[in-house]
Amino acid sequence: MALVKIEGVSKVFKEASLPVQALTSIHVEIQKGEFTAFCGPSGSGKTTLLNLIGCLDRPSEGKVHLENEEVSSLAQGKLATIRRRKIGFIFQDFNLIPTLTVRENIEYVLWLQGETESLRRQKSKALAERFGIGKLLSRRPAQISRGQQQRVACARAIIHKPLLIIGDELTANLDHKTGAELMDFIKKLNREEGLTFLYATHDPIMMERASRVVRMQDGRIIDGKG
Amino acid sequence: MFLLKFALLNLTRNKRRSAITVLAVGIGLAALIFLWAFMDGSHEEQRENVTRLFTGHVQIHAAGFAKKMSAELVIPNRPEVLEKIKSNPRVVSLAPRSKCEALIGTTAQSKGIVLTGIDLDAEPLVTDIKKQVKEGEFLSGGEGKEILIGHVLAEKLEVGLGDKVVLMTQAMDGTLAGFAYRVKGVIHSGALPLDEYSAFISLASSQELLGIDSDIHEIAVRLRSRAEIEGFKKDMQTVLPSDSYEMLAWNEIVPEVDQWASYSNAIIQTMLIAVMAVIAVGVMNTILMSIFERTKEIGVMMALGTGPRQVVSMIFFETLVLEFIGIILGIGLAYLLVFHFQRVGILMTGFEDAFAESFMSPVVHPHLAFHRVLTSVKTLVLITSFISLYPAWRAAKMEPVKAIYHS
Ligand SMILES: Nc1ncnc2c1ncn2[C@@H]1O[C@H](COP(=O)(O)OP(=O)(O)OP(=O)(O)O)[C@@H](O)[C@H]1O
Ligand SMILES: [Mg+2]
Repeated sequence: MALVKIEGVSKVFKEASLPVQALTSIHVEIQKGEFTAFCGPSGSGKTTLLNLIGCLDRPSEGKVHLENEEVSSLAQGKLATIRRRKIGFIFQDFNLIPTLTVRENIEYVLWLQGETESLRRQKSKALAERFGIGKLLSRRPAQISRGQQQRVACARAIIHKPLLIIGDELTANLDHKTGAELMDFIKKLNREEGLTFLYATHDPIMMERASRVVRMQDGRIIDGKG
Repeated sequence: MFLLKFALLNLTRNKRRSAITVLAVGIGLAALIFLWAFMDGSHEEQRENVTRLFTGHVQIHAAGFAKKMSAELVIPNRPEVLEKIKSNPRVVSLAPRSKCEALIGTTAQSKGIVLTGIDLDAEPLVTDIKKQVKEGEFLSGGEGKEILIGHVLAEKLEVGLGDKVVLMTQAMDGTLAGFAYRVKGVIHSGALPLDEYSAFISLASSQELLGIDSDIHEIAVRLRSRAEIEGFKKDMQTVLPSDSYEMLAWNEIVPEVDQWASYSNAIIQTMLIAVMAVIAVGVMNTILMSIFERTKEIGVMMALGTGPRQVVSMIFFETLVLEFIGIILGIGLAYLLVFHFQRVGILMTGFEDAFAESFMSPVVHPHLAFHRVLTSVKTLVLITSFISLYPAWRAAKMEPVKAIYHS
């Protein structure tokens, strides 16, 4: 059984003066434990596709299945619940919540899930130590480096043990060394804990680390359907 | 706890904007509460003054006297009734009176008035008529026939202190009775019923005029407080059965004061809603701006799994916190203002005449009842909460993708 199954999905953005066909008849399956890179020129639809897989957006046409559940027609409230339980997002520009401390950022999803404070603290502390940011927990995002911010963003994305982690251009804003370290770290999580990891990138070095590469162009998958 | 902290953190992001909003809520609320206290204070004073000026708290007559005011309607069983009233623990003092319609005149002209015969010792314990005699003196109780008249009446009749006036009225036996009186004092009360349409003579003299022996028409009663009126009426129900007696509270005799109070209450309530709506729009605007500035952040929160309902409660909670701080400030401010002006009083210079017309002294002492605070706060919370659902709903309706890529 595929973890994600995309069937004949198209996405048209209609808000602009001219409708934009961002994705056209996409078929793709993602298996549990994959470490997959989506690559392609700018505007080829990588972000749009990852957002659909991550239940952040709904397709104009076609179906998205997550663990055999059709999610493409669910209401926003239901989608939010699925994201809270099953998906972890790491954004390109990290998007930490600036008013919250590092600890509160990492614990955010657990708080949404209604976990007790002691359990949240225990989990965030353990995770922060694994990421080497254990000493920064009471700082605010503005008080730590970009590399550290990205680790916080990673910790936040995985603290609830999601089925699927999505990283859109997650190393684009980091220098090479920091970016490579981060990828190695996630790769380790992928190997050790069987996390499924999908990411979009332009960077050939990042593509090399993937176990599978899906190439996109003009809203279509041109290679690597799997 | 986290929700509260998060709301506070978000509100302190733009400290100045939040502070201005809190101030607006606080000042608006304080101003309304104070206005209410001011009006309540002046109504309170009006009520007190009316009972002090001439009605007392309760008046007792023979049944039907208030309407007909005819001399033969004297109070039945007078000694027993007086005794029963005196022994009621709520009663502080009482004054027996006679009362009739009369013509007062000089050789040149005459006017219709209400003539009251008062007990010179008992009356000052119930009302302040004695204090209103600003020219000449109060009745002396001597052999000579003395009369007190209002200053407007004195002007119209063109009489002054020591001048003679003639009183004519229908006596108990139906004959026309008349006597000459000397003006002993002139009343300046500020209230037209007293200043233009009243005259006072001693009870003994009026009993002679009317031929009613020792009988009386009215007992004016002062109780420990106005709050005792209902209780007193109940106590007296069996002693003074309604087929033979009538008992009138001061506000049945002068209903204008209470009508005026409920009229201005209605105005304040309308203002309350209007002002609160303006404040609420201000609060809503603040929250809308803060949401707009945080669009991307809210999008990220949504991506992390924050559902529409959680977004609504987060933003709604922010509104509540903002409002709550403003309310605390407003109540504090209102109490400070009220306490201050309760001590020093508010002098309404320039309004003395208008105030006197409505039984008020020109110094108002605000009076703050807790239920006024409660009503104001409830209205504010209701309206603000209702209006603030809009920004919360707008935020929750955002599509996460658009919010995240919003710049
Ligand atoms: N909200 C939107 N409204 C209108 N058009 C959009 C929107 N989002 C994306 N598009 C368009 O859809 C197409 C695909 O965009 P997408 O962001 O998925 O590409 P991408 O492969 O992620 O590009 P990049 O490498 O630059 O991030 C583009 O033509 C883009 O302009
Ligand atoms: Mg993209």
